[in-house]
Amino acid sequence: MKYVDEFRDPAVGRKLTEQIARLTDDYMKREKRTRPLKLMEVCGGHTHAIFKFGLDEVLPDAIELVHGPGCPVCVLPVGRVDDALHIATQPDVIFTTFGDALRVPGSKMSLLQAKAQGADIRTVYSPVDALAIARENPEREVVFFGLGFETTVPSTALTVKQAQAEGIDNFFLFSNHITIVPTIKAILDSPDLQLDGFLGPGHVTMVIGMRPYQFICDTYQKPFVVSGFEPLDVLQSIVMILRQLDEGRCAVENQYRRLVNDDGNPVALRAVTDVFQLRKFFEWRGLGSIDHSGLELKDDYAAFDAEKKYAIPALSIADPKACQCGEVLKGKLKPWECKVFGTACTPETPIGSCMVSSEGACAAYYNHGRLTTLRRPTATREATT
Amino acid sequence: MTDPLAALYPSLGSSNGATGGVDDATLVTSIRTKAEESRRAQEAFVASAGLDLVRMARRLAAVFRRGGRLLTMGNGGSSCDAAHLAVEFNHPVTVGRHALPAVHLGGDVAMLTAVGNDVGFADVFTRLVIAQGRDGDALFGFSTSGNSANLLAAYARAKTDGLVTLGMAGGDGGRMAHSPDVDVCVVVPTPSIHRVQESHVLAYHVLWDLVHTLLAEAP
Repeated sequence: MKYVDEFRDPAVGRKLTEQIARLTDDYMKREKRTRPLKLMEVCGGHTHAIFKFGLDEVLPDAIELVHGPGCPVCVLPVGRVDDALHIATQPDVIFTTFGDALRVPGSKMSLLQAKAQGADIRTVYSPVDALAIARENPEREVVFFGLGFETTVPSTALTVKQAQAEGIDNFFLFSNHITIVPTIKAILDSPDLQLDGFLGPGHVTMVIGMRPYQFICDTYQKPFVVSGFEPLDVLQSIVMILRQLDEGRCAVENQYRRLVNDDGNPVALRAVTDVFQLRKFFEWRGLGSIDHSGLELKDDYAAFDAEKKYAIPALSIADPKACQCGEVLKGKLKPWECKVFGTACTPETPIGSCMVSSEGACAAYYNHGRLTTLRRPTATREATT
Repeated sequence: MTDPLAALYPSLGSSNGATGGVDDATLVTSIRTKAEESRRAQEAFVASAGLDLVRMARRLAAVFRRGGRLLTMGNGGSSCDAAHLAVEFNHPVTVGRHALPAVHLGGDVAMLTAVGNDVGFADVFTRLVIAQGRDGDALFGFSTSGNSANLLAAYARAKTDGLVTLGMAGGDGGRMAHSPDVDVCVVVPTPSIHRVQESHVLAYHVLWDLVHTLLAEAP
């Protein structure tokens, strides 16, 4: 298949892994470094590519991949799920959502359980589908559960604009849209996580371009390479990071040129800022409150704001204590180091959101289980405690 | 026309990614929202656990009346609450209220680190109960989840040794709420750790007051 097969070519993959091994070895020897290089893949799509194609198995031991928070369902806090349930169980409401949010546990139940109890909750593939449901059901109130990073925000923004243009008054948005850049800064400021470089999110960057990441190099001196999602994309991005380290430089580079323009998508960005404004505070699951990281509708579009229409509880609710999604999202723990991974918490009966989402790190480990990989860090960990 | 990136990322104008200041009105709104959440949590607590708190005060007053001591325990912020409760009894701030003997088990850093290192953290309070607890004393624990393993283990030992066992929890009360080793457990029915702890402060200040009121009565 064009644009897929050429990025999965085993021969090219072998060359790249040889390059990675050589560059890593040179760097470690020259710097007399014993601690592994920690590279964070920000996006959950990268995490799944890494495990699906076994990239973790072919990397040198001196490279440790740290899984970042770039999975929007995983970082949805319990309180917001409860708020969604509050809206979804109102009379006359049709609650529409992307499928992977259905099983995220709230404090008492998930949307899927609420649906089983009779709430009218429907899966959609796009906010446009939700708008179509609103057109077809003028006597009902149709709420769209807006989720996602900058990648999905433009489609939501354009849908709200369309609703306004058509004068549709029974369509509402429950916005949980978030931005990734403040979160990367929060991770960089975390004292207990020392990273050596980033594989940047390809799809987000397709919208926002390269400029928002410049501070990562200017202030934190970390290489940042925007990466595609095929196995060769990921391997080439790691080579690009290692070359920067090897040459003692630090830059924002674009490996995903076939899709990402350096300036992003100005039309999409304009739609986003026409419709949305930053919230002063927004709480993330596991990461706490990150300033200026959430998006809410501007006053011009307040008539579509579900938070204004329904008196949501808006309570800050702690994650279940047994769940260690927070540590996983910050890259401090590997999923299999969580106390409930694979026992009490599985994709069928998830406790934490990282096990729910198709982009979650725990789901990646569980679904593409790498037992040899799991054993190797355990030995290292035990030896150092 | 405004730069969309500047609108989306206020940090762009800063070399270190820091965002601009938040105006005072927004911060005051944030304070007001949390204060309102806290008030609702306290009201829910009093409605659901008011009688249990009275029952707890009667049990604790009886312990002091017999000459027993209060041992307190908790982890993290709850350890601070445990220290706070102990100092309320040891050092009463209201004129006319006499000092009552209370020991904050988490204050013994040497013992905590010794047991934690040699045996395990799940046993730190149990070993202190063995060393300090006597038949007729009271053991009081704080846990926002109600599931702290080291507290549950200490309760089991205390029960065996004849101590009165009391506790404050949050959420659904966890295992503390249903453990046969805990005589009285009051639960703040909210999952927010911060709101639980704020209600705990209210609850143990009131508890201290109730105990002194009961002790002033004829036995």
